[in-house]
Amino acid sequence: MRVTNMLPDMQYAMQQSQQALATAEQQVATGNLVNQPSDDPTASANMVVSLANMATVDQYTSNVTALQSQMQMADSSISAIITTLNSAITTGTEGANSTENTADRQALASQIEGDLSSVISEGNSTYQGAYLFAGSASSAAPFVAASTTYTSANGSVSSPLAATTALTAGSVTTISDATTGETMTFKARAGDTIATLQAAVASAASSGEISSGVSATINASGQLSIGTPNEGAGIVVSSNDAVLGSMSAASGTQVANAYAYVGDSTVNSVQIGTSLDVSTNLPGNTLLTAGPNVIGSLSKLITALQSGTTAEISAAVGSVSSALNHVSEQRVPLDFTINQLDSQDSYLSQEKITLTSQETSLVGANLPDAATNLSQAELQNSTVMAAAAKVLPQTLLQYLQP
Amino acid sequence: MASLTTSLNMAVQSLGAADAGLQVTNNNIANANTPGYTREVAEFQEETPTAGSISSGAGVEVTGFQSIRDELLQRQIEQETSAQSGANAQQAAMQQIQPVFTTSTDDIGTDMSALFSSISNLSTEPTSTASRQAVLTAGQNLATAFNTASNTLTSQQAGLNTQVTEDVSQINQLTKQIAALNPQIAQLNSTGQDAGTLQDQEDQLVVSLSKLTNVSVTNTNDGETLTTGNGTPLVVGSQSCALTTTIGSNGTTRVLDQTGNDITESLTSGDLGGTIQTRDVTIPGLLNQLDTLANQFGKAFNAAQASGYDQNGDAGQNFFTVSSTVAGSAGTIKMAITDPSLVAASSDGTAGSNGNLTNLSAVQSNNLPSGATPGDAYASIVYQVGSLTANANAESTATTASLLQLNDQLSSVSGVSVDEESANLIQYQQAYEAAARVVTTIQSLFTITMSMGTASAD
Repeated sequence: MRVTNMLPDMQYAMQQSQQALATAEQQVATGNLVNQPSDDPTASANMVVSLANMATVDQYTSNVTALQSQMQMADSSISAIITTLNSAITTGTEGANSTENTADRQALASQIEGDLSSVISEGNSTYQGAYLFAGSASSAAPFVAASTTYTSANGSVSSPLAATTALTAGSVTTISDATTGETMTFKARAGDTIATLQAAVASAASSGEISSGVSATINASGQLSIGTPNEGAGIVVSSNDAVLGSMSAASGTQVANAYAYVGDSTVNSVQIGTSLDVSTNLPGNTLLTAGPNVIGSLSKLITALQSGTTAEISAAVGSVSSALNHVSEQRVPLDFTINQLDSQDSYLSQEKITLTSQETSLVGANLPDAATNLSQAELQNSTVMAAAAKVLPQTLLQYLQP
Repeated sequence: MASLTTSLNMAVQSLGAADAGLQVTNNNIANANTPGYTREVAEFQEETPTAGSISSGAGVEVTGFQSIRDELLQRQIEQETSAQSGANAQQAAMQQIQPVFTTSTDDIGTDMSALFSSISNLSTEPTSTASRQAVLTAGQNLATAFNTASNTLTSQQAGLNTQVTEDVSQINQLTKQIAALNPQIAQLNSTGQDAGTLQDQEDQLVVSLSKLTNVSVTNTNDGETLTTGNGTPLVVGSQSCALTTTIGSNGTTRVLDQTGNDITESLTSGDLGGTIQTRDVTIPGLLNQLDTLANQFGKAFNAAQASGYDQNGDAGQNFFTVSSTVAGSAGTIKMAITDPSLVAASSDGTAGSNGNLTNLSAVQSNNLPSGATPGDAYASIVYQVGSLTANANAESTATTASLLQLNDQLSSVSGVSVDEESANLIQYQQAYEAAARVVTTIQSLFTITMSMGTASAD
């Protein structure tokens, strides 16, 4: 075969070796064999999925970290409540002693009042501005001092509200009862009037959802008044109905040692792993007002110490003991969640290592191999250049005599 | 019997033959680097001896100059050139598309993950305005990533429309030049002359034409007839058949033959074929997948949003504004809400509930109507882009190597070897010197002969 011009072949060889050199340099510089989809389409596609998994694991880890602090804060509050209840039991037991006189029992009642305040304070504890035991209504304190009467901001003698006054459709009025520990919620529909609300309140009082006797009336000042005739009981009323205006406690009607729960029963959950969710909150009504009512039992003990018999004090101490057991039971799932978070934290750390390893095997370069490839590519490029420099100038003319 | 005069004439012929050889060698050396040049050789023939009792050679005759060419190799080079240009056109387009689908800080896959991470983060603090804003920002970033990817593809398509127009313009210029050469070559061939130089020019023009589209060459008495792969005439004898372009109903530039027929889909090779293939098949395929993903993802997210309540207790509004039809969805998807409180995290209408975030998160792991999860659907697009680019790269590399080999083969037949020409130069130089020595010898013999009479008279 005649060889006429070696330049095109040499140029092609130089381009090929320079391309190989550039590729080897890029692999060493980035540490990756795959730097763009065309380098390995399958690995690139798998990498998309792997990166998404990695982001998910990172977020699960972040969730776990955030929840660990929040759960530990809640656990500390419950621990403090348990300590307070134990103290109250000790105090109450002392008060049940027949040798205690009235003055001593009044002093002990004052101590229990302090314990009740401590429990309420723990029930209203916050984490990063959110109330831990308010259910999903975490932006407002869940335990509020109760009063016997609430009145609406709107309505006056000259312009009184009436049973026929229409309510705003969609507005919500709630009555939280310190005695029953429950909340009645009235959501106005189109066409509803104050009379509809009054009927709903009467129905709730009849069914026991709220204390018997709680009623909604138009008072002499033309306002809506929601109240209870029982001076020892208390309620907290709220409304977002523009027709009524805000509901506020009537002056001088606050009930001593009575607190209503105004949060909700919602339990939020957060995903911390594939198919693994954990509850992130314990609603305050579940903890302190449901079942053996913690607040109610302390209130009874105070009342018993102030004016009850030894038997009544003993019975009240028994109620507090039941409440203590209830709180301790509520703490169990919380502690389980904390343990779950710790375990998941370890698992996610391992999972991240696995995914990182998977990522490396998909697109990562073996650095010793990459360095060797670079060295070989440099050598090959130098060889091609040297060959070109040697061969291209060779012509017959060089050997002919001038 | 030959006389001195006959010998002198023969020597002069020898000088002419050596001169012809030198002339061809000179021309070959001069065009050693001229693209498309086919080396020439001087053709010699023994002069027919004159009749006589004793016959001897009558010298040399230069019968002509001949270009050394290989038609089959030339046609193969044209075909491979066409294939290489087609692959290069697709490679160039894909290399501009590929970066959009390469993993980075703002590609679709990364932004999709970031959106779901922000939702998961919101579940730990559903009333946090900052966390809600983070969800909106992540959603905006994802919509922008879809828009960017779609715009890149559609911009490429628009650019390729311009390329089609330019290619057709160049094709028309080349066919006009070829049509002008055809009759000149035919005339020389009809008189038995070598049309080497003109044929070289025509071959070069056909190679240039092959870079633009696939060409079929047929030799006729009127010169070369050129057609596209499907038989659309480009050059017939001295006539060039101009192609034209028009804007089609879908907004793309269409190619029409001389009679106005749309031949766009039949152009499958060369830069024009590769450009049309990328514009009409590759990019629409990717765009359709991208639009489908954006449309189905946006609607699935909106459905999850609608199943919950925002922070005001109202039913969730659309999170994304998505086109009702699939086409164009990736380019037009955008955020429908800008108020952080409108993220429908709540499942019961209370502001602090995070129950609906489970539904929003589930969009990540649930299959879309296409049958794949959003992440898998995007991974499939990345695979497509990578595969198309890798194939174009491989095709370009393979055709380049193949073309190099064919050019080497053609060069071994038709190329100029400077070494060979240098040897020829010496050969013809020596032949010339020898012939000149013959002339000198005959001249001295003439002188001796002429002086014979003068010497006897003295």
